[in-house]
Amino acid sequence: MGAFICHLKRYRLLKDLTQEELADMVGVRRETIGRLEQAKYNPSLRLAIDISRAVDAPIEEIFIFD
Amino acid sequence: MSKSNIRKLLVLGVVCLVIVLGSTWYANKYNEGRLVTPTDFSNYRFQFNDLPMMIALLLVIAYVVYFVFSVVQAGVRKEGLASPYARTISPKLGLLGFMGFLGLLGFWTYKTDKLIFPFIFFNFFGFFGLYFQGKMSHIRMDERFIENAQQAQIIAYKTGLLLMFLVASLMGMGLFAHNLEWAVIFLLSSISLIWGIATFLSSYLLYRYDQGEE
Repeated sequence: MGAFICHLKRYRLLKDLTQEELADMVGVRRETIGRLEQAKYNPSLRLAIDISRAVDAPIEEIFIFD
Repeated sequence: MSKSNIRKLLVLGVVCLVIVLGSTWYANKYNEGRLVTPTDFSNYRFQFNDLPMMIALLLVIAYVVYFVFSVVQAGVRKEGLASPYARTISPKLGLLGFMGFLGLLGFWTYKTDKLIFPFIFFNFFGFFGLYFQGKMSHIRMDERFIENAQQAQIIAYKTGLLLMFLVASLMGMGLFAHNLEWAVIFLLSSISLIWGIATFLSSYLLYRYDQGEE
């Protein structure tokens, strides 16, 4: 898995969403959102797009790959 | 499978059993046990009294075909309506893993009756994996879960294959080469045990990955 920086937490808090709420919106478990925010899980393109739409931010600003 | 289908299968099974028992009784009483006792079909000639036993046999074959078809059909339907949640089971079911020790019975049955099939019970050690499945009971199977499950299965099967290779190598090097019976026992026990290990590992590793302990 390539290293990446994840700004999901910042955008999630901007939208005033809890991990649980975001997880429900994109159809995953809260733990998966937690792992994503720690950049310990590399999401699929489908999930990345869903998250991007849910927090209303561009993918490339949420997930930054080297 | 719906309850009505299960009931239908059970009723048909009981009907078949009654017909088989009835025709067996008829054959023993009025047909000198033909088609009940071992029959030499090279000299077989049809007699009218054979008819009940033949009908019973055809019914049993039809029932078995129907049974298999129903079970497969129910499986396909269930797959189509797959739930996004992991199955709900109790971690206590992991205690069934202790049934693996029944495999040791094989040493006793081999000594007394030369029976070796109880060695197969070693594969019940795989039930220990139900403990970890129970701990992940009814959690949402999202993409991370599915990815972890696939990774866990690959590692479990690779481990199983490696162990099988080791067993094959040991036998190829001549382990038990002078005692065919012990060679078969060793092979049967190893395959059963490896099956149990692979089954357990896929559940255990999935749990570890899911908890983030990679």
